Amino acid sequence: MDNIEIGLWVTGGMLVMVVMGMRVAFAAGLAGLAGLIWIFWAKFGYAPDKFGKALTVGVKIAGQVPHSKVSSQALSLIPTFILIGYLAYYAGLTRALFEAAKRWIAWLPGGLAVSTVFATAGFAAVSGASVATAAVFARIAIPEMQSIGYDKRFAAGVVAAAGTLASMIPPSAILVIYAIIVEQDVGKLLLAGFIPGAFSALIYGILIVGTAMLFKRVGPPVGGFSWRERLVSLPPALPIVFVVVIIIFFVYNPFGGDAWGTPTEGGALGAFVVFCMAVWKGMRWSELKSALIETAKLTVMIFSIIWGVLIYVRFLGFADLPGAFADWVTSLHMSPMLILVMILLAYAVLGMFMDAIGMLLLTLPVVYPAVMALNGGEAVSAADSTFGMSGPMCAIWFGILVVKMAEFCLITPPIGLNCFVVAGVRPDLSVQDVFRGVTPFFIADAVTIALLVAFPAIVLWLPSLAM
Amino acid sequence: MAGHSSVLEDGSLLSRLDRHLLKFERFLALVSGLAVFGLMVLAVVSVGGRNLFNRPLAGYVDWIEQLMPLIAFMGISFVQREGGHIRMDIVIGMLRGRALWLFELISVILILVLMAALVWGSWAHFQRSFDFEAPMWSNDSSIDIGLPIWPAKLLAPVAFSVLCLRLLLQIWGFGRAFLLGLANPVAVPLIEDTAAVAAHEAEQLEGHE
Amino acid sequence: TEWNVSLWGKRRAFTEHVEKLAELVAEKTNGEFTLNISYGGLSKNKENLDGISIGAFEMAQFCAGYHRDKNRTITVLELPFLGVSNLEEEVAVSNAVYAHPAVQKEMAKWNAKLLMTSPMPQYNLVGTGEPRDTLEKMKGMRVRATGGLGKAFEAIGAVPTSVTATEAYNAMESGVVDTVAFAPHAHLAFGTINIADWWTENLNPGTVNCPVVVNIDAYEALSDAEREALDSSIDEAIAHYLDNYGKLLEKWDSILAEKGVQKVHIADAEIEKFKKAAAPVKDQWIADMTAQGLPAQELYDLVQDTLKKVRGGS
Ligand code: NA
Ligand code: NA
Repeated sequence: MDNIEIGLWVTGGMLVMVVMGMRVAFAAGLAGLAGLIWIFWAKFGYAPDKFGKALTVGVKIAGQVPHSKVSSQALSLIPTFILIGYLAYYAGLTRALFEAAKRWIAWLPGGLAVSTVFATAGFAAVSGASVATAAVFARIAIPEMQSIGYDKRFAAGVVAAAGTLASMIPPSAILVIYAIIVEQDVGKLLLAGFIPGAFSALIYGILIVGTAMLFKRVGPPVGGFSWRERLVSLPPALPIVFVVVIIIFFVYNPFGGDAWGTPTEGGALGAFVVFCMAVWKGMRWSELKSALIETAKLTVMIFSIIWGVLIYVRFLGFADLPGAFADWVTSLHMSPMLILVMILLAYAVLGMFMDAIGMLLLTLPVVYPAVMALNGGEAVSAADSTFGMSGPMCAIWFGILVVKMAEFCLITPPIGLNCFVVAGVRPDLSVQDVFRGVTPFFIADAVTIALLVAFPAIVLWLPSLAM
Repeated sequence: MAGHSSVLEDGSLLSRLDRHLLKFERFLALVSGLAVFGLMVLAVVSVGGRNLFNRPLAGYVDWIEQLMPLIAFMGISFVQREGGHIRMDIVIGMLRGRALWLFELISVILILVLMAALVWGSWAHFQRSFDFEAPMWSNDSSIDIGLPIWPAKLLAPVAFSVLCLRLLLQIWGFGRAFLLGLANPVAVPLIEDTAAVAAHEAEQLEGHE
Repeated sequence: TEWNVSLWGKRRAFTEHVEKLAELVAEKTNGEFTLNISYGGLSKNKENLDGISIGAFEMAQFCAGYHRDKNRTITVLELPFLGVSNLEEEVAVSNAVYAHPAVQKEMAKWNAKLLMTSPMPQYNLVGTGEPRDTLEKMKGMRVRATGGLGKAFEAIGAVPTSVTATEAYNAMESGVVDTVAFAPHAHLAFGTINIADWWTENLNPGTVNCPVVVNIDAYEALSDAEREALDSSIDEAIAHYLDNYGKLLEKWDSILAEKGVQKVHIADAEIEKFKKAAAPVKDQWIADMTAQGLPAQELYDLVQDTLKKVRGGS
């Protein structure tokens, strides 16, 4: 049996374990370990007395991976991004953002819903986790919307959909994970997330305003705020601006000078700003301690999947399966754009059943090289490429598309986690209600993805400035 | 906001062992959280030193690489105890009673096989970096300021060994549930439906907007 | 026989000898013996030596400076101002050191046999802004330089700052470092030349040493014909490497002109001052290594003698 066949069998075995409910991290790690042992035993001609040697080599290769892969500077962004999110609650940023958004933009048709979207987008700039973002805003925004006559399902849908933005707008753990798996520059990917994130928010906003103009019942405008009231609402939201500025300026200086540091430093400093704010707001040690433990838990969950999947990836390196898959995809007699669209559709389907991080980690090692090969290779220039962008730019573009798919999977039935969270926070809402309310936003997301595919410049403009 | 738990407890030996191990696991998770805090402080020192005093922190990257295993591994057993590691539970969520315990049992045994192998493999990885004869016992050092790497490499087999203990308890717990056909076994994480998970997520934020 | 070879990055001047070796070996054995080269798929570059020791793959490349403690003896070749002035001399001193019993003994701990070197030209600085052409201007300069080079820069009051090769571009662009020390091919491969304003043409403070090794068991398990094919191809592979790198160096001036990078000439007096300041680095190295029971002085003298011999002979 050649290595590629072994690769296919092992991959199949891993998927069976995942479907049967084994923890993804360990299913991937076990598949990788078994695959390594298999490949070495095959190399020794399946001699019975050589099995021990194959076992030893396989185990030792797998045993290198956890420490080796985890002790990386780029990965240190993930825990700091998670910490920022947890500290943000204690810094009182949610309420401040919602108030400011309400006073400034609630005069639009469907104004309170639009305010919710933009306040959530703002909070996304300090939160790396979509689910937590949706949970907080469900508590603040839904009651206010209901109290002025919004349809409660629609209000819930707004929060569930807007909550997904936290995965796109930096800090974003998912973007960092993508960068690590595909070995691309983390800073540029984070930078690339800002505009598509804001763009998504804008599309949501347009959808809401349009709906509100058509159906009066959806939500009346809220006016009557004086300029003074508007101005005083700004300072409490200021730390958000600090964090955004720090992250941007630590990757790239828009004024043309040197950037201020590395993304790693930027992420950690962002956390520090929010930490100071939280201390100033009276955070106690017990609260800090629980924030730290929660951060540790989420971090170890993510890291376990990362090293587990990387054991599997190391095995793939020996089996050369990604290379074979890339060859196969590029040999198809189909338009590359069509193949790309089909890959995205496959993510949409997979995302209905899987957790976003697990989905990306399991698929990217094979799918990403294929997409790069479609474009003409890692080192291709924009002029020679299929999609009209250089290799590194294609990596960024595909990353943003994939993260948008991951966000989409947070609101699609049957497992859309954001919808469950919103229903969990509001006892008067069933999960079905939330899925009902979130349906219009599928259209918004489909439009966003289509536009990002058709006009890559939306994604690539900002990172290309930093090249 | 201290992590919720869907693990039942009683006065049995198994449950007492579970709680003893839990104390240790929680301590390790806190260590990991403090290391994240350390990461933040390190960046402040590095940036501050560079911009204010033109004295960058020597070996900033080396120090990060030393901290990361602390953050990445120490909480692994704590999360397994709570059943927090990500999985796809569409299929297993439909099972009840013995069938469910059987699947859980097989899954936990397979994890133990993997983790026992990784204790061995990561220990070998540590050993290659460790030498009793050498200065600072180091056979492998970081690139910039030459920190010995063996302490960081040792964290993997240590954390994985604690996880192996946890897995043994869970094999005991699920095995007992399977054999006796229990409805609510102790010392193992019980599946909650997605809505209950969401409710927990929501509870955690109660009072902290 | 099929061997897996663990390299990293992508195919570049730095890996051409391995590519050539694979070609030659396959040719000589009519495809019986093949080298399967992987760029990063089999191991992380800092762990190639571990992989060799495990038996994960049969051949690998690594750089001594990545992990000084794994290969103390080879770091003699990374000391500042050794006096090596071209790639041929770099090959000669590397071969001499690789043949030393103490070096072979240390590599044998990793189950590794030194096959050949990857000769690297002297590292030189690129930077932005005002050229740093005196030691005075290098004071407080944040420089990306590892190993003995880093120590040398430290000795003149510069600040070596840790970034990996792949992060060097970002670090320079973001001002984390002011200057980056690389060989020319690396300034090209990692893009630092694209944002540079100047390049020092004659600072020549030293270089890094990156051997190619094979797993001893695998090497001994080769048939006589295969081993012969491998051994006899090394010189030709190195010759190909030198030829290829030579072409790159010829193009270097035009690359600098094209990118608008100014060549900075450092005055001899400044270089003498630098050498003097960096001298303790070598002495410290000899003292430390001797204390660890390694024939440090002998290794250092071996390098110097070899240099004399090479120059005397040509
Ligand atoms: Na975010
Ligand atoms: Na879904």
